[in-house]
Amino acid sequence: MVKLTRNSFFSFKFKDRIEITLLIVSFLSVLILSLITIFLFYEGAPAFMEIGTFNLLFGDNWAPFYGRYGAAPLIYGSIMIVVGSLVISIPLGVIAAIFFAEFIPRWLGDLIKPFIELLAAIPSIIFGFFGLAVLSPIISDLFGLALGKTAFTASIVLSIMVVPTIVSISSEVISSVPNDYKRASIALGATHWQTLKNVVLPTAKLGIVASILLAFGRAIGETVAVLMVSGAVAKIPVPFWNYFKPVQTITGSIALDMGEVPFGSTHYHALFGLGIVLFVITFVFNTISDYVMRKAPTAEVQI
Amino acid sequence: MKYQSPKERVLPYLFSVPAIILILASISILLFVGTGGVLAINWEMVSKSVLKGGIFEPIVGTLYLLSGTMAISLPIGVLTAVYLVEYAPKGRTNRIITQAMNNLAGVPSIVFGLFGYSFFCRFLGFGISLLSGWLTLTCMVLPIVIRGSQEAIRMVPKTFREAAEALGASKWRAIRDLVLTTAAPGIATSTILGISRVAGETAAILFTSSVFLMRGLPSTPFDPVMVLTYHIYVLLVTSPSPVLDRVFAMALILLGLVVVLNILAYVVRLYYRKRKRW
Repeated sequence: MVKLTRNSFFSFKFKDRIEITLLIVSFLSVLILSLITIFLFYEGAPAFMEIGTFNLLFGDNWAPFYGRYGAAPLIYGSIMIVVGSLVISIPLGVIAAIFFAEFIPRWLGDLIKPFIELLAAIPSIIFGFFGLAVLSPIISDLFGLALGKTAFTASIVLSIMVVPTIVSISSEVISSVPNDYKRASIALGATHWQTLKNVVLPTAKLGIVASILLAFGRAIGETVAVLMVSGAVAKIPVPFWNYFKPVQTITGSIALDMGEVPFGSTHYHALFGLGIVLFVITFVFNTISDYVMRKAPTAEVQI
Repeated sequence: MKYQSPKERVLPYLFSVPAIILILASISILLFVGTGGVLAINWEMVSKSVLKGGIFEPIVGTLYLLSGTMAISLPIGVLTAVYLVEYAPKGRTNRIITQAMNNLAGVPSIVFGLFGYSFFCRFLGFGISLLSGWLTLTCMVLPIVIRGSQEAIRMVPKTFREAAEALGASKWRAIRDLVLTTAAPGIATSTILGISRVAGETAAILFTSSVFLMRGLPSTPFDPVMVLTYHIYVLLVTSPSPVLDRVFAMALILLGLVVVLNILAYVVRLYYRKRKRW
């Protein structure tokens, strides 16, 4: 009797130890995220103090080697390219998603979709190479520009890179609209298109919005491909809507400058300051996207 | 069910246009790298050192980077998934970890690079090294591995666990011997996708792990390493008129690796979905 109790006591202990080990391992994700936050702010905060938050975020002269740290041209460049890419990828992605979910049989979609998912898997350096060697000469010829590396080129490359996010999530969301809704609509005499427009898309709307927000977060964090085709000139184009001018992005200047800045200099801290800006933007967009997705009627779809 | 008015017959064709554009984009990139690469690549280049105009070290260096990263992130990822699914399926702990993981998945890779530089290279003193690269990339792929494994473990029927426990196995024994082996193909899929992500990563290793030129391969984890993505990056970005031969050859190997890994993941998933034994 005693032996039995002791045994079960030990086995309880043993189980406990495993559970605690697993718990500790699991908290690594939390630890990593906290460390990222701490170290970004530890290295980036001096920039906000030395340069001034306003000057860093809204100053319009980025020339770190001359002691000018106004990141507005970079932030503007990032926003410009991301907006440009979304203008292209939202219609492409959403229509493709509707096509896959509504117009073709599942087996055919399963056959074609891997080609689009492949776009998500291709390394960004290869997109950059393609953009540099193929796309930018075409664009410079087409529009009579001296250099094909422009905000427009970067937008196109980026749109191809983020479109799989929109297609795969949106098509999942659209397919997960309950069949009963569609049947009810068709029973009332609506055609396929009317059903799609008035029943399916409104139900899937929030999910589609979430996929677009997620794509935004991905797009603004993209580095190498954008850096290679955007021209890397840290100036707000004149006029500011001119997409045929070279621009520089937040990510691009971090990547280009980080290798050569002296450790602990203002420039070094400024790059971490840019990292904070990036981190905060992506954090906000991913959180909103997450929230919208959970509010959506098709919430069982995992992002 | 699919009632269409005569006017609506054109809709499928209209709606197919974006899908076709995207597929064409995908194929043209494959063709661009494929033809350029096949014309440029030869065995001599692949087997010769970078110092003599070859691309040997970046290829092997990429494999070094991949294997180390997966060796670290796979156990962590799988154990986290086991904990989340089996031990804490809901509740506050689960919410905190899941939230952290979701946020981690959204962090841009260049920010991982900044973090890796300031934490692993500087604070822990690992310097620009293979080890710093492994750890930085682990932070980056962990969410992919965890999510994939979670899904795979969730797919294992509850009856399996009940049967094992009815036979007297402890919870951990049941998980180790039954749940994990059953979920192995799913875990493999997510691991392969993680590897493919690491192989193509440039921004996160830009200043944590790689150098453009060095003599030979790294001999300890504290040495820097040459990798394909970084080598292509430097050749294309910093030299005014790069010799494209080597770039094409490296791009072909990189893209080939990524495509093969993705096809592998796809096949594993399909194969096991078909032959489920329950």
